[in-house]
Amino acid sequence: MDQKILFGLPLLFILAFASGTQAQKSQTVDKCYSCHRDIGSDEAQAYKNDIHFKAGVTCADCHGGDPTVEDQDAAMSPAKGYIGVPKASAIPQVCGKCHGPSKTELKEKFRLDDVMDDFKASVHGRALSESNDGPQCVSCHGIHNIVSIKDRRSPVYPTNVTKTCAKCHSNPNYMKKFNPGLPVDQYEKYLTSVHGKRNQSGDPKAATCVSCHSNHLIRAVKDPRSPVYPTNIPLTCSKCHSNKMYMAEYHIPTNQYDNYVQSVHGIALLKNSDLSAPACNSCHGNHGAVPPGAASVASVCGTCHQANADLFDKSVHKNAFAKAKLPGCVVCHSNHLVKPPSDKMIGFGSASVCGECHKDNSSDSAASTILVMKTTLDSLTNGQKDASALLAHAEQLGMDVSDASYSLRSVNQSLVESRVQVHAFAIAPVVSAAQPGLKIVADAQKSALGAINEYYFRRKGLGVATLVITLLVVLLYLKIKQIERKSRQ
Amino acid sequence: MNNESKLMRWFNKRYDLSPFEHFAKEKKVPDFKGSFWYYFGGVSLFLFIVQVVTGILLLMYYQPGAQTAYESVRFIVTKVEFGWLIRSIHSWSANLMILSVFIHMFSVYFTKAFRTPRELTWYSGFLLMSLTLVFGFSGYLLPWNTLSYFATKVGTEIVGVVPVVGIPLMEILRNGSDVTTATLTRFFGLHVAVLPAVFTVVLGIHLLFIQVQGISEPESWKDIPESKKNHIPFFPNFVLRDVLLWLIVLNVLAILAVYFPWELGHKADPFASAPAGIKPEWYFLFMFESLKFLPSKFLGLDGEVVGVMFFGLAGLLWFLIPLWDSRTPKGSRNKIINYVGIAVVLYIIILTTIGAR
Repeated sequence: MDQKILFGLPLLFILAFASGTQAQKSQTVDKCYSCHRDIGSDEAQAYKNDIHFKAGVTCADCHGGDPTVEDQDAAMSPAKGYIGVPKASAIPQVCGKCHGPSKTELKEKFRLDDVMDDFKASVHGRALSESNDGPQCVSCHGIHNIVSIKDRRSPVYPTNVTKTCAKCHSNPNYMKKFNPGLPVDQYEKYLTSVHGKRNQSGDPKAATCVSCHSNHLIRAVKDPRSPVYPTNIPLTCSKCHSNKMYMAEYHIPTNQYDNYVQSVHGIALLKNSDLSAPACNSCHGNHGAVPPGAASVASVCGTCHQANADLFDKSVHKNAFAKAKLPGCVVCHSNHLVKPPSDKMIGFGSASVCGECHKDNSSDSAASTILVMKTTLDSLTNGQKDASALLAHAEQLGMDVSDASYSLRSVNQSLVESRVQVHAFAIAPVVSAAQPGLKIVADAQKSALGAINEYYFRRKGLGVATLVITLLVVLLYLKIKQIERKSRQ
Repeated sequence: MNNESKLMRWFNKRYDLSPFEHFAKEKKVPDFKGSFWYYFGGVSLFLFIVQVVTGILLLMYYQPGAQTAYESVRFIVTKVEFGWLIRSIHSWSANLMILSVFIHMFSVYFTKAFRTPRELTWYSGFLLMSLTLVFGFSGYLLPWNTLSYFATKVGTEIVGVVPVVGIPLMEILRNGSDVTTATLTRFFGLHVAVLPAVFTVVLGIHLLFIQVQGISEPESWKDIPESKKNHIPFFPNFVLRDVLLWLIVLNVLAILAVYFPWELGHKADPFASAPAGIKPEWYFLFMFESLKFLPSKFLGLDGEVVGVMFFGLAGLLWFLIPLWDSRTPKGSRNKIINYVGIAVVLYIIILTTIGAR
């Protein structure tokens, strides 16, 4: 949408220029303009260069009145529709005469878009409806000296627009009136970002406020329709970052989005709608977006994975990675393509990551640590599976093993803790975290085997009892027959 | 034998047991083609004894209350030595007892043993059957599992549809307007104290009537000479045959308890919705299923009300059969009684089968 506007505007201005001669002619009969020009009014001086002046928009088109009469009272008579300086809340209506939904000659001629509906639905439109101080068209586009947005002088030209937004958004006193909770440091942060630095150096392609937030249809971040709502952020960033042509001159990869959607984070956020899962801005920042440096990767991941980051910081890998300028967590887990971690990552198997730096032989002192960690996790996982299978078998036999089944669930906690402790890259913490789980597994297996044995004991017991009772039945039957024979005799 | 004689002598010195000895020696039981059905009275008695014994054992661990009932039954079946067996036998013998009582009642009905002079034996027997059903209904709730909770809710709701007295009766049963822990306590009291006491007294009276009047002879013996009637001594012949059948029933109970242990299910959650297709126990199924077939309005009354009143009336007529069996005083054959009985048996079997599907 924004890009359409961006590319459509030159055409608009070519058309405006072509019709300029005719338009300027119409201004010559505009008594308002000629009179204000003659008395040296600043507005009239400025309006001479305004895109609207060139398009033939007269003073009366916005301010009302009769531009054909010389007499000031007659020209500025309310009876002729003169409104003077429109109230801030009325400005969108004034601009909307041409930029709104209704069809006008100028709108048709310059193929103007209807932006008023978007504005009304935006947070700015809502703010204006609540307060006369709210932002409106002239807050961003200026008054009487409005130029094409392709014009470097335009306050909404890419290299100017951030400053324009900051006029209000960096003013805490002004912002308090509308949203006291909203931060006012976006512009400051932006200047520290890669986008901001490029923008300040005059690169109009670098992302600005409107690149992410849109222009007229700006929605609150918490609105699921906003392009910066958590589940929409990856796609918003990808508009530029996945565009090979657009990014070509920056020499950075364009596969981040493709990788992200396959990652554990992308699946959680985009497929499972888990809003706690990280989007691009969670790691890179939003207004101050930068790629995290090798040294700060662990800190970035640690904002969510705190325990893992703490353990990593105290581990032998911390200094080793720093020395080799390796980017912490990313070395084993990747960055945009973070796959669900698996126990297979540990050890020296085909899917292991340890094997990429370490060797599985006595020459590598870390080999034994890696193998013990791997064995401990495998014991816990396999033990849990075996115990589950035994309990399922006992249940299938009709035995009640619900207590043991319930206890077995706690093994997951132990397993999670052990896996976290792997980030200490030492044997003791992993074994210590696994111990409670291993005990639960052993108890569950014992309970399951006990229940299975009990099942067979019951059947054997029943067999013996049935045999004894049947024997008694037979003996009793013979006794009855004997008694009845005697009584017949 | 010598020991027995010594023992009897010891007792006889202190108490005169000769009337009992005489009674045991003289008491005879008719022995004919259909006398097999006589044994179901004894089987019912045996199963009642099993109920009392296993019930007392369960009582050692059971704790009534919404927070403890289910947990205590789980404890019984998982932790208490042979608790699973005791609970399973208690549940199975309850069901077999109801079946046995039904068979006994219909055998009495079809052999016309309810006729003069045994009307009071029939009335007391009917009362015992009703008490057995109440035993089953009250005991079903005690484990406080999902099925028992909702079956009790539905069951007591049906009582509530009876005109005028329905709602107060339902509230008395529930000990409140809904099935709660108060209902559980009330049912527990009924099940372990009130019902056993009442049942034992009525059972004593029932057995006394039988011993005093002797066991009823078949209708076909009315026209044959005494010499052609075949009797067996009550003791030891009949008693030993009874014991033989009891042992067989005990074997069946053991097999059922081990191979089909009575499930405990999930703990009742009063805030959960009732499980789909909730049904009462099989012995109430024919009535429950009948209510489903009734139209919502019948003769200007709610279909359910008509159904409940119909079963109430049918039960009353069944109870009063010695009064309306017009040929009772004459002691002659009455085929209508047989047709009614067959229709009732078929109705119960068919509706129960439909309901069980």
